[in-house]
Amino acid sequence: MHNALDNVVIYNGYPVSIVAAVSFHCLVIAALIYYQANRAPQVLNLVQPTVVKALLIDVNPQVRNAQNLERLRLERLDQQRQTREEELRRQAEAERELERERAAAEERARGQAQERQRQVDADADRQARLESERARQEEARAQEEQARLRQLDQAREAERQRQQAAQELAITEFELVQSATALIQQLVQENWSRPPSARNGMRAILQIRMLPTGELVSATITESSGDVAFDRSAENAVYRAAPFRELQTLPINLFNRNFRTLSLIFQPEDLLF
Amino acid sequence: MNELSPLQLIFNASPAVQFVMLILLLLSVVSWVMITQRWLVLSAAKKGVQNFEHRFWSGMDLSQLYKEGTEMQRENMQIVGMETIFRAGFKEFMRLRRQASVQGDAVMEGAQRAMRVAFSREEEKLEKHLPFLATVGSVSPYIGLLGTVIGIMNSFIGLANQAQATLQVVAPGIAEALIATAMGLFAAIPAVVAYNKYSANVDSITGSYMTFSDEFSSILHRQIHSD
Repeated sequence: MHNALDNVVIYNGYPVSIVAAVSFHCLVIAALIYYQANRAPQVLNLVQPTVVKALLIDVNPQVRNAQNLERLRLERLDQQRQTREEELRRQAEAERELERERAAAEERARGQAQERQRQVDADADRQARLESERARQEEARAQEEQARLRQLDQAREAERQRQQAAQELAITEFELVQSATALIQQLVQENWSRPPSARNGMRAILQIRMLPTGELVSATITESSGDVAFDRSAENAVYRAAPFRELQTLPINLFNRNFRTLSLIFQPEDLLF
Repeated sequence: MNELSPLQLIFNASPAVQFVMLILLLLSVVSWVMITQRWLVLSAAKKGVQNFEHRFWSGMDLSQLYKEGTEMQRENMQIVGMETIFRAGFKEFMRLRRQASVQGDAVMEGAQRAMRVAFSREEEKLEKHLPFLATVGSVSPYIGLLGTVIGIMNSFIGLANQAQATLQVVAPGIAEALIATAMGLFAAIPAVVAYNKYSANVDSITGSYMTFSDEFSSILHRQIHSD
């Protein structure tokens, strides 16, 4: 037998279905939200990977040399300063010794004088004059001593300032060279397309000569990697990267010291094999 | 943004991706409406087949059965499924039979034709909306994929403007984009499953209708030739 519910369901099944479908979706979304709310406390802790930067390794022997020289110079200056201080200290010591001796001598003289005073009362007048004279002399000497000490201090101060200035200059020079080197490195690296035959551990050294305008005069391979294509790619990279216009801003003496000839080391490190 | 939740991603997505997501949500809701509605209809039809077959083969007089149906119609209850086929065939048979001029074979033919018409109407009713489910099942993954592609495209465009590409820059965009694919699959999977199941059900129900109409016409045939 048909019942009324079946009849309703068959032809008017839509309202029921709509209610069912919408509530189903609401349920799914609610479940999602609930799950999310519960999971919130354990936030995924992302461990930052150590950045592996694959770069063209380029150690410039000249820059390294300059660095070494600079360091040596600073060390030498330091040494000089130390020896000078030592000397000054020794001088002061000697001075003090002398002073003590002199004081002792005076003491002795005074003792003698007193004796003499006791012995010769008549001489008292002259003695007094002598005494005052000596006191004056002593005062003058003390003043002189003070002046010398002041002078010494000033000299030391001046020396320190000079050293500081030299150091600052060295730092800025070093930075300039560093930044210019980094720039060249970056330009060459951008223009370097490695051949398929390139392998990790290959190494080619190129010596390039440049003009102060940044133009490239020549690039010669001083140490071949053993792979002709690799050497040529390195050469091409330099030619393509030239001219290095940014070198124009460098002071000429700096350029001559560091960039007149420059060695570039081409060594791929980021290849897979 | 230190914490990402799917909802946050959805609300922060770009308009195009949000649009795709909206379409997918609507498709999903509509397909679930169809799934439920078809489920109700098909299970009712199956039950109707069993009920009517039980009544038909209980040895009840056919005109009595017909009258019961007419009463039900008068009570504003609709006649469906197998009973419609029976009623169409029986009505035609009786009408043609009352006309003395019509030959027996012609009466049979008329009754069968009426049953065929009723059968194809019933079949149509059963198969309604199934093509929609099939379409949702096959198309919504593609719509989701479109959203994903747009989202990833946006996030890569954003990446191009970044000096340093970190995971944090790309990750939200890609996560947002992947949500579109997830939604597409969410809409598609039930639709495909329902389509397959329901088309098998429809086949079995129409098969039983067909069998019934053959059996019924053989009964009518016997009745004509017994006179």
